[in-house]
Amino acid sequence: MLSHMGIFCPCHLLVFVLYASNVANSQELLPADTEISNAINHYVQQHLVTSGVAAVEPADDLTLLRRASLDLAGRVPTSVERDWFMNQPPSDRRRLLVDRLMESPDFDFHQRNWLDETLLPNQPYNDEFRSYLLTAVQGRRSWDTVFRDIMKASHAEGPDKGAAQFLKSRVRELDDLTNDTAILFFGVNISCAKCHDHPLVADWKQDHFYGMQAFFQRTYQTRKTSSVAERPFGEVKFANVGGESRTAAFMFLTGEVVADRTPQLPDEERKQLEERVRKLEHDDAEAEIIVPEFRPRDELVELALHDTQDRFFARNIVNRVWARLLGTGLVDPPDQMHSGNAPSHAELLEWLTGDMVSHGYDLRRLIHGIVLSEAYGRSSEWTSGSEPPAASTFALAHTRPLTPRQLGASLHLVIGSPEQWPAVANTEEWTKRRTDLENQANGWVREFEQPGENFQIAVDEALFFSNSSRVQDDLLRDSDDRLLGQLKKIEDQSQGIEKLWLAVLNRVPQTDELASATTWLDHVPDKRDESRKQLLWAILAGPEFRFNH
Amino acid sequence: MSRIPASGICIPAQHAVSRRGFMSDGAIRAAGAVTVAGCFASDMGQIHALRSEEVASELRKQDKHVILLWLAGGASQFETWDPKPGAKTGGPFRAIQTNATGVHISELLPELAQRMQHTAIIRSLNTKIADHGRGADLMETGRLKDPSILYPDLGAVVARELGRLESKVPDYVSLYTSTEGRRKGTSGFLGARYAPMFLSESMIPPNIARLETVSEIDHHDRAALRDALGRRFAASRRSHTVDSQNSAYQRVHGLMASAELFDITQEPAEMQARYGPTQFGHQCLIARRLIEAGVPFVKVARAWWDSHGQNFETHQELCADLDHSMSVLLDDLEQRGLLKNTLVITLGEFGRTPEINSSLGRDHFASAWSCSLSGLGIRGGVAYGKTDPEGHTVVEGEASAADLFATILSALKIDHKHEYTVGARPVPLADFGSKPIAEVLS
Repeated sequence: MLSHMGIFCPCHLLVFVLYASNVANSQELLPADTEISNAINHYVQQHLVTSGVAAVEPADDLTLLRRASLDLAGRVPTSVERDWFMNQPPSDRRRLLVDRLMESPDFDFHQRNWLDETLLPNQPYNDEFRSYLLTAVQGRRSWDTVFRDIMKASHAEGPDKGAAQFLKSRVRELDDLTNDTAILFFGVNISCAKCHDHPLVADWKQDHFYGMQAFFQRTYQTRKTSSVAERPFGEVKFANVGGESRTAAFMFLTGEVVADRTPQLPDEERKQLEERVRKLEHDDAEAEIIVPEFRPRDELVELALHDTQDRFFARNIVNRVWARLLGTGLVDPPDQMHSGNAPSHAELLEWLTGDMVSHGYDLRRLIHGIVLSEAYGRSSEWTSGSEPPAASTFALAHTRPLTPRQLGASLHLVIGSPEQWPAVANTEEWTKRRTDLENQANGWVREFEQPGENFQIAVDEALFFSNSSRVQDDLLRDSDDRLLGQLKKIEDQSQGIEKLWLAVLNRVPQTDELASATTWLDHVPDKRDESRKQLLWAILAGPEFRFNH
Repeated sequence: MSRIPASGICIPAQHAVSRRGFMSDGAIRAAGAVTVAGCFASDMGQIHALRSEEVASELRKQDKHVILLWLAGGASQFETWDPKPGAKTGGPFRAIQTNATGVHISELLPELAQRMQHTAIIRSLNTKIADHGRGADLMETGRLKDPSILYPDLGAVVARELGRLESKVPDYVSLYTSTEGRRKGTSGFLGARYAPMFLSESMIPPNIARLETVSEIDHHDRAALRDALGRRFAASRRSHTVDSQNSAYQRVHGLMASAELFDITQEPAEMQARYGPTQFGHQCLIARRLIEAGVPFVKVARAWWDSHGQNFETHQELCADLDHSMSVLLDDLEQRGLLKNTLVITLGEFGRTPEINSSLGRDHFASAWSCSLSGLGIRGGVAYGKTDPEGHTVVEGEASAADLFATILSALKIDHKHEYTVGARPVPLADFGSKPIAEVLS
């Protein structure tokens, strides 16, 4: 563990501006019973006024339908949904839509996918983990329960077994267990405090890094059953910058320490125990997994959930859900929650964190509130010649790339016959279709990159769309059960084009688009079917379909 | 050909030319309006741009290139660049005199021994990390992995520094056809624009060839239609990410034109025979074709050097392939006048232990190992650094991964201290505190 300390520490000489901490005093916050969307509106508006920035207009209804469908159902809307939506009273349309989407099986699939992409980004097909997450989401488990399941890493057979995959995929690298847990569950990156106290972030000392590591140091994988287990002993030793050797305490990010309650055993007994653990770890023979009395990972969970001061655990998930729906976190980047990197809206983050804790870590509640806020519903268009407002003002909606699964599901939906989807989401037929769609979307994951920070679309994707037989022979097939097949039967050219635009882009074509499409289809009259394929290709491969806007 | 009616919409006069000339970049771009108007003309010409002598010589004039021969799994320094005949760690092979006075290398590399005028050996790498994954992270990027930032690898950095934005050829190609240790490589924070074109399944990049069912004209026309219909959306939602999609599509036809570069049957039979008969040799020939056409960085991986058992047999086989393929490559580059513009690096994730284990293997070892640099910017005939008589430690000229990267960048005349800014954080091209090895630079 100490072998390369201080040799190439990657983090010295960082330049950073330290801001004064401006975390709000909780007494000044809006009342706890304020509606979430109202609280968001209040704080975001306050910030806009202070910074002298004007927000853009709200997005039109159809744009919002597409946006909310992608964010809550993981796919673009069907034509039946569009008709239903437009038939709702305008004043209440949005709320009805959000409620309906969040009650659909689609929401659970998409929520599962988001958790999976966040927690196991390098393993897009870990079926055990994905199946655990789906069970948890469908059962409406709270976020603290999911965290407990994951840290507990139960080896008992059953639906929760897959929760262990988070630790299992990292068990060979103690640093990964330490850093990824801190980053993904607490929103902090303490890796720079490994070799020395963090050079810039006053909050993070070596004691924090090794303190966090102490909770995972006993974690290992059994050889025979590949289960994640904990040794009944073991400690983390590290050398500080002065070269002095120290033993790490079981210390949480807040500085709170839990006493090491490892039972003291007589030498002989301890040796036997060590031998049993050694066999579990290295021998092929089957043996009962030892479950120690003192389990550091359970202690970590308790410390994190009882952190009423900094509330790292709750703040992190609030910030991540916010970033998912609005494109940028209240703290950005999301793994840099510390006093030197102030949130854009400190009071709002405090208020939302309080709401998260007092409502039992209910992610659905937060998602529902955010999606109904003004900030979420703004237009993403910026037509003025001046620079658009900073992302952190939320004055303008972000244009966000679709994830591979959102894109895969949406492609399949639009090229099929969206009209054949039943009207009511909660039917058996719907669930069956949606499950099929989810499986189809899975098959496209490898073709697209998962968006991350500073994401760019690679030329591989453009080549794939341009030249793969999958696109040409599958997406552009014009059999009767496909959109293209149905378009063939429509005599009126304009009507056909309108249907195409609605199916793919969820809007009617503008006059100039209609004219261009008409010209395109008309001028090689004997190849109209071929031209229609090309037209579909051109909008499927275009930016409007590729992004959530 | 085409006629432009008053409406501004250009309709081809006859079916034979289909919609070629249907749209014009200029007219549609104006005000972001979606009008399919005017005529687009130039793109068809560009498809064959690579075949034009004029363009090729223009590229050659300004280009610098890197070919990285990646010895995946970790080659033994004892059986390659730092032999220790007679030492108890030395193994059975002799050292041979090279054409550089005083420099001896393993007898397993006889052809390379006669070409040392191009090559500098570094025998004093101490990179400390001796497991495959993290060792490869370190030797691909020149620094330790850091959970807070995704570093680009050498290929991406070179692509960014030496590639041209509007290049018609790929700027980073990575050939890795064996499965052992296969890694795609990463452009990290530089973004997907500098990600490698990755060939793992076949010698031709995926999706680079047009399907027969789509005509060349239709292929171009529908791409132009895509651009036209998407322009207004993209213009009112400018961002790095939105723009990247358009940039990616703009590169498609250029890259498709480079498909032929991967086809070695276009080389004279005699040339194919020289590089043959191994796949690695063929890939070295592809590498030469690529850099000749202007590609800045090509990586060719040869696996699997991880000789925990039967180290000596493994090296007999793999060194023969390396010796022959690299020698032919150096000769060919020199004869074409490309070696003075091309740096050839042989490197893996680490070396191998001095101790020979009970399976007559050598295990992972990163404390005292070797690599070589040839061609552009390199002082040939040099063996830099020294290990102790049994090869356990570096005794002279210790160099880190970062020092090696600083050296490579210096050979390319790229300032290794130049910094990228990632968020608020400065990231120098070669890690902080690194120093180029002046002794191997020309």
